[in-house]
Parts: sequence; C-alpha cells; structure tokens
Amino acid sequence: MRQDSLQARGVSVEFAGLRALDGVSLEVVPGEILGLIGPNGSGKTTLVNALTGQVPIVSGDVVCAGETITGEIPRKIALLGIARSFQIVRLFGNLTVRENVETAALAKGLPRREADARAEELLDEFHLNQSADTLGDALNYGDKRRVEIARALASEPRFLLLDEPAAGMNETESDTLLDMLAMLPEKRNCGMLIIDHDMPLIMRLCHRLHVLASGRTIAEGDIDTVRQHPAVIEAYLGSDAKAADHHA
Amino acid sequence: MTSATRSSVIGTLVILTVPVVLALVISEALGIRVVDRIATIFCINLVLVLGLQVFMGNSGILSFAHVGFMGIGAYASAVLSMPLQMKGMALPELYPIVKAIEISPYLGMVVGGLVAAGVAAAVSYPLMRLSDAAAVITSFALLVVLHTIMVHWHQMTNGPRTLFGVQSATTLYIAAGVAILMIFIALIFRESRTGILLRAARDDEVAAGAIGTNISNMRWRGFVLSAFMAGIGGALWAHFITSFSPNAFYLKETFVILGMLVIGGAGTVSGAVLGAFVVTAAFELLRLIENSINLSGVLPTQLVGLTEIALACAMIGILIVRPSGIISAREVAFPDALRRYLPGTHFTRPKQSRSADEGGTQ
Repeated sequence: MRQDSLQARGVSVEFAGLRALDGVSLEVVPGEILGLIGPNGSGKTTLVNALTGQVPIVSGDVVCAGETITGEIPRKIALLGIARSFQIVRLFGNLTVRENVETAALAKGLPRREADARAEELLDEFHLNQSADTLGDALNYGDKRRVEIARALASEPRFLLLDEPAAGMNETESDTLLDMLAMLPEKRNCGMLIIDHDMPLIMRLCHRLHVLASGRTIAEGDIDTVRQHPAVIEAYLGSDAKAADHHA
Repeated sequence: MTSATRSSVIGTLVILTVPVVLALVISEALGIRVVDRIATIFCINLVLVLGLQVFMGNSGILSFAHVGFMGIGAYASAVLSMPLQMKGMALPELYPIVKAIEISPYLGMVVGGLVAAGVAAAVSYPLMRLSDAAAVITSFALLVVLHTIMVHWHQMTNGPRTLFGVQSATTLYIAAGVAILMIFIALIFRESRTGILLRAARDDEVAAGAIGTNISNMRWRGFVLSAFMAGIGGALWAHFITSFSPNAFYLKETFVILGMLVIGGAGTVSGAVLGAFVVTAAFELLRLIENSINLSGVLPTQLVGLTEIALACAMIGILIVRPSGIISAREVAFPDALRRYLPGTHFTRPKQSRSADEGGTQ
C-alpha cells in the first residue's frame, strides 16, 4: 500500500442490520484510473459514500494519504482533497453554471479572484462557456453531468470519485467525456475512481478494475486479469465480457 | 467579484432604487402629509423585507424570528436616545446606568442594529445546524422567547404597556437613504463568497457539504447580517412612530413582512423590493377603500380586516401560481444596450464561446 493513496481498509457498512459492504479493501493511487464495477446493488455507490463520509462505517478504516479519516464529516473529507460526483446529478439549480463551478473553489477558501479564474478555466476545458450564465436547472442532462465534474475539479482534488458520469448521455457526449476523463489524472495529478455500467467505456478508460458483488470484493487487478476471472464472468460480465472483446 | 458581476450588481441597484426615488419624488411633489407617511412606511418596510431576504432568500430557511430582532433594535435605539428628562416618566424602573445615557437617535439606529446582530450572533449558532421544518419551528420558538422578554422586561421596555416619548427622527429622506443602502448591502451579500455558498446549500445541502461548504457557519453569517438589518429597520420605525408596545413586534408584523417577501420572491433582492412596494401600495389603497366604505355608511356594519385578508389571499394565490414569488431566481437586469452608460463600469462584450461544435450535441 502506498503512502499517498486513498484506501479503504476492510470497510463494512450496514443499513438497518443489512450488510451493504462487507470488509472491502480498495486503493486509489494518484495518477491512475480505477474502475469500480459490479452488478446492481453490489455496493459500489455505498463504497463511494463511505469514502466521502456520506454513510457511517461500521468497521474498517478510510485512509487518505496516510491520514485516517474514518467517521469524518463530508465537509472535512472534501477539504482534505476528495471530490465526488453523484449518481443522480446534484447541481445547484438556481445558480449559474459559472457559480456552480466556482462554489467548490470558494468552499475550499480560495480568494475570489482565483476562484473566478479557476472557474473560467474549467468552463473552457469542459466547453461550457456558452452556457456559463445559464441556471443549473435549465441545462440538459449531459451538460449537468459535465458541470458536476467541473465543479468537483474546481477544488483541485487529490482524488476524484465519479459515480456513473456517463449515465444518460448519448454516444457522442459520452465519447467526448471519455476523452476528457482519460487525460485528467495525469494532467491534474489526481487519482480517479469511476463507477459505470458501460463496459466498453470502462475497459477503454481504466488502468485497473475492482469488482464488487453482494458487498464483497470478488476480483481486482488489470483489465485482462479481471476479464478472465471466473468469478467475475459468472457474477457479472457474462456475455458482456465477450461483447466488450469485440468492441476493444 | 468579476467585472461582469460588478456591473450587473450596479445595474440592478440602479433599477431597484427607482421605486424608492419614485416614492420620494411623488411625496415631495404632492407635499401631502399622508403621502409622506406612506412613502416613509414603504422605505421602512423595505429595510425590514431586505433584512429577511438576506437570510431567508439565500439560505432558503424561513425565519420567524426576524421581527423579534426588529423589536430589539427598536427598543435599544428608543431607550438609549430618549431625552434624560423623559426617561424618568416613560421608564421609571430603568437601570441607573442606562438612565444617564442619551445618544443621538441616528447613532441609536446603528447601535440598535448592532445590538440585534449581537443577540443574533450569540443565540443562533446552534439553530443554524438545523434545516427544513426543524429550523422554521425553532425560529418561531425564538420569536416567542424574544417577545416574552420584551413583554416582561419592565425596566427596559415598560413591559406590555406602550412606551412613550421616543424621539422623532426618521424623516422620509433618512428612511429612503437607509433603504437604498440596504438594497446595496443585500445585493453585495448575495454575490459574496458567503452568499454564493449559502445559495448553493439552499439548492442542495448534500452537494454543498460534499464540496466542503461549512453550511452552519454560512447560515450564521447570513442570520447575523439579517438581524442587523432588522434592528436598523426597527429603530427607523421606532423613531418614526414614537410610541409602541411589544405587540408591534409579533405575529401581525411577521405576517406582513413575510407576505411582502413571499409575494415579491424571496430568492432575489429584486423580489424583496417589488414585494415591499406592491404590498405597501395595496395595503394603503385597501385601507383607503375600507375607510371610505365605513365613512359612507353603505354597509350596515363596519368593515374591518380587509387589508389582512387581502394580503393573506394574495399570499395563497402567489404560492399556488408561482411558489417562488414574482421574481424568483434572477435579479432584474439592466438592458445590455444601456449598460455602458452605468457609472463605474466599462461595458465588455460577453466572451464568444470558442466551441462552435457545442450546439450540435444538444
């Protein structure tokens, strides 16, 4: 385990006595893209929520760059450099796109001028300057997703956790997004964890994969290892794995 | 603040000053006492509504405690500025230390605002952790506490009885000046770091927390500023009306101020100004109608409460048709074509987007 990584160490989460996560250990290293996959209800979103403090952890630890952050509130975790997007987009609907992006820099304590400049930069990078003065609520779904990612980046996070960033996007949009995401870790020196059901996208984007089923890790490693793992084929990929083969 | 934001704030300020200036000019031109009174009341109401907008509009949390802070400001300024020889008569039980103080009522207004802000700063922090219904109910409880203290603190307030002998100091010019200043403060606050983060938390608390916003701290700042403005509004009112009792700062006034904000649109400063203007005008008109009907004796009985019922119905109507008020999310803006004539701003063309392919993805 590396000193500068984000780690879950044997993390368990329970909802009303039901175990949603059972001793999951995972590591995100700066500069890499880790894909978190698994069937519906396998605990992917719960794991992200546990890492960012949105759900309480029953046992185990979360460690960010050597610092134990188990049980910290989301705000503290965010300020330590862990940013996220949500499965169902959560924009500030009555704020403009520019303000939406700026908030994260402001919350981090950046001076106004720098926060403005950073927001402007990200709007450029994500091709959002045309809608900079549009209210969050008025955007289409794909734009909302991109604003949410730009907002997460405005805090210059060390780790970026994206929960289905391409959901609801059409093929062109998701291709553009993929190109953008692929460059992020290197360009911004951050570690990225990404949840998605779109297997071709995951296979093209990720350096490593981590597979959950029923709240447990069933496989992890590079794409080929995971793709050939019998437990994965059985639990999840099935015919999708072959389909992905053809795409790749 | 970017220069674009600055110029739009100035543009909005210029437009929102219009109703205040209009009230002033009409009153001057007509020179009728009752018009002067209505114009002054409008400006005072505006200060109070703007104060409520600063907290409620930006945080999204309805606060009932607002007129409680108005009362604090009113009593603080009234008592501190009361002429020494009046104090013995009006407040026989007043503490000796306060009895020896007589400050100018204008200083009193500032002190009134500061006292209200100080009380708000001290009591409100734990409340700011609450959201939704719990926050609204606790703010109501706070109003009850403040009211009860005003009713029973004989030494300072003359108890439930009317306090007489308050210096008359609020002229239309002063009220209008303060109102314009408050419009400016409310606009600046909305665009400030605290204001933006507060509005973010209003739109989505979870997302605001996830980007690291200290939500209760932002709310607290808004609440303290809001109480400061309420305190000044209360002091303005006290030096205008010159005699009042704690009942002036309770449910009826809460309903009027809240009604103005809800009808105009709590989310914007423009809504606060519009609401105060429309409702004050409607109130006075209805009162005129009510009085004429009663005087003419058309009806067999006296007509009472028309104004309150009309406000209540207007509030219900607005909440059904436009739940977030007449001006909901965006401030009124100066037309781009005229912006170059604004003082202190240089007009810049909005940056052309370089991504021409963007439109194709929609």
